[in-house]
Amino acid sequence: MDGSLFKQALLGSLSWLAANQEEVNRLNVFPVPDGDTGTNMLLTLQSAVEDIRESQAPEISKIARLASHGSLMGARGNSGVILSQIFRGFARAVEGKSSLNPTELAGAFEEAANAAYRAVNRPTEGTILTVAREAGRAATAAASAPDATAPSVIAAAAGGARAAVLKTPSQLQILRDAGVVDAGGFGLQLILEGMLKSIEETEAPAVPATQPSKAAQVTMDLPEGGWGYCTEFLIEGQNLDLERIRTQIEALGNSVMVVGEPELLKVHVHTDDPTRVIALAGGHGKLLKLNVGDMSTQHRRILESESGGPSSAPRANGVGLVAVVAGKGLVDIFKALGVDAIVEGGQTLNPSTQDMLRAVDAVPYDEVILLPNNSNVILAAKQVGGLTSKTVHLIETHSVPQGVAAVVAFNPERSAVDNIAAMTVEAERVQTIEVTHAVRDTRSNGLKVKKGDVIGLINEKLEFAGGDYAEVVNKALGKLGPDGYELVTVYRGEGASDEELQHLESAIRSSYPGLDVEVQQGGQQHYPFILSVE
Amino acid sequence: MKRPFAVVTDSTADLPDEWRDRYGIQVVPLKVLFGSETFKDRVDMTDAQFFERLAGSSKLPTTSAPSPGEFAEVYRRLAKDYESCISIHIGAQLSATAEAARIGAQSVDGFQVAVIDSETVTMPMAFLCKVAAESPSLDEATAAVKERIPKARVLALLDTLRYLEMGGRLSKAQAVIGTMLDLKPLLLVKDREIKPVDRVRTRARAIGRMVEFFRGELPVEQVAVMHAQAPDEAEEIASRLRGELSGQEVTIGRIGCVLGTHTGPRALGVVYLRR
Repeated sequence: MDGSLFKQALLGSLSWLAANQEEVNRLNVFPVPDGDTGTNMLLTLQSAVEDIRESQAPEISKIARLASHGSLMGARGNSGVILSQIFRGFARAVEGKSSLNPTELAGAFEEAANAAYRAVNRPTEGTILTVAREAGRAATAAASAPDATAPSVIAAAAGGARAAVLKTPSQLQILRDAGVVDAGGFGLQLILEGMLKSIEETEAPAVPATQPSKAAQVTMDLPEGGWGYCTEFLIEGQNLDLERIRTQIEALGNSVMVVGEPELLKVHVHTDDPTRVIALAGGHGKLLKLNVGDMSTQHRRILESESGGPSSAPRANGVGLVAVVAGKGLVDIFKALGVDAIVEGGQTLNPSTQDMLRAVDAVPYDEVILLPNNSNVILAAKQVGGLTSKTVHLIETHSVPQGVAAVVAFNPERSAVDNIAAMTVEAERVQTIEVTHAVRDTRSNGLKVKKGDVIGLINEKLEFAGGDYAEVVNKALGKLGPDGYELVTVYRGEGASDEELQHLESAIRSSYPGLDVEVQQGGQQHYPFILSVE
Repeated sequence: MKRPFAVVTDSTADLPDEWRDRYGIQVVPLKVLFGSETFKDRVDMTDAQFFERLAGSSKLPTTSAPSPGEFAEVYRRLAKDYESCISIHIGAQLSATAEAARIGAQSVDGFQVAVIDSETVTMPMAFLCKVAAESPSLDEATAAVKERIPKARVLALLDTLRYLEMGGRLSKAQAVIGTMLDLKPLLLVKDREIKPVDRVRTRARAIGRMVEFFRGELPVEQVAVMHAQAPDEAEEIASRLRGELSGQEVTIGRIGCVLGTHTGPRALGVVYLRR
């Protein structure tokens, strides 16, 4: 299996996953509206495949490395991040190889699974990890057959994946309760099946010669502030010297990233003089997918979001804050608390690693604290630190209330280390209640839930179903034990009416007169109410 | 025969009556203005009357420093019985009082006035007055007070930042610590600055943080707990502070009308001189 066949296989996997995206989405274990696994994996795979479309490299090592880099940048959601680690492991395993024999291919599948296991703190069986491992084992078994071929190895891997997916409910109680198989594992099965399909469909591995598109017309406005342009492109050429080009580009800007192969390099740089960068790069080869963004506009927007306006003094401790949050009211709350840049996203739209990387790079501080504010975003957020020259501190906030508690504890006069300690303590102190409607029938945590039921989650765990918002919230407060708390902050979502809000407020006040109740307009989608209890 | 020196301060020292009487300290009142009505702090209006009126008032009151003439009058009267005085006043970064005292002193011939900018506010000023009153001479009093000025701290918990912002005593950049959410800001008055120490969502947590912060500041020479119409919480804080100290006295003081205009009701403070 060489580079062009691998490329073809990946393109096939992309279209197969795209065709079955909704089926993966439906496998969501929790009946809550959140980041859909199918969509996250598809967007991650799209990013992996994006750069290789332009590559004509015959070596599998080069295609694999481009895919690894692309998936890492585009990784969204937990399954997306694990998928990117699978690509990374595969790329490492095939390093320096132009093509793979069946044994090597199977070995690369196994190594890909190992890399994914290593990337996760506490690997759980019955997930995409198990599926990746079983696919690798099946591939290895098939590769030992005397008449083994690349298609036979991939077919075995896909078969192994399918069998493993079917077994996931027996390994994970939550899947068993919900009556579903693991979504991430199923996504990986589809990727392997898609690879197999596209290889089998083509008798001869002739790759249709893609016509590289011409460099886009570049129009630019000169920045006023000299903050620079985020400039990205691919260089296609012969024997491109990665190190030399990196050194040359580093002289023209910062946040430089040059990755790829002697035939195709991806370049990313923040520069004040994009024309010089383009001229320099153009001397090495043909430029593709040129994209120049004015960062001074971005930068201005970020500065203006600070309450002090563009003239506000830089923060004493030199530490920036970036938060992932969605909903107009919540965005305003985080900004008013001093967050420098907001990455739009959260529950239903998980931002990619690259989305967060852009925000981190755009804030005018070299040290940045990143708040994911959602469990499905944490893993993608973890990747950001490795992709920037800035120091990124991740505080693993699982919810909006945890994020608010963390930001409230931030003090611009205090060092990053002291802030992180204080913010982590505060985030862990707060309890989160989320109220929404079940998106389908299910059983979870011993509860039988019907589609449309009001459901209440305490710290992401489904605890109550049925009744109205007020009833669910009061039960949840009762379970937390209101005596240990002083304040309930209600973040009202887009879907909650004034009446529902008033009803909820008075229900809390009459049931728990000892608690202060504060209402904020959150404007979040899908969750009529998010409550912070502290 | 004249006595060597008197001690003068202003009403923002929140000087306990008992200390005033024991040491014969002269207190010059600042003023609170509700519209066109002017009240001398702690003379025409007690703190309890002030907060009652504040609660029922749609417009916030304003405050003003004593005039140089009012200081001159006080110094002239003292000149009959004393050879000199030390006049200890609210930090010049917060009020024009010390400047008025300086100008007032210039118009009183033959009476030496050592005007001291305390750089602080509320009972740390009272502590400085006590130190001065217990000194044998004006020079020694001045030296002892100046040595302690850099050690004065006011750790304040405001129930809201609204009053401080409206009074213009908090810069806009600092105001970010209390927007949108109902935050309880903990502020530290130190080195002529008001700095945010922390912002907390609930009063109980904020009180816990105050005690924690105080623990890190030990040892202290003098300490008091200040409150604006929150005697129970002040008593609770005082008893927690006593737990941190071995037998040292913790005074409880009441925030007066002028300072109360800027802190608003339910403000709490732990104030001390570090050793």
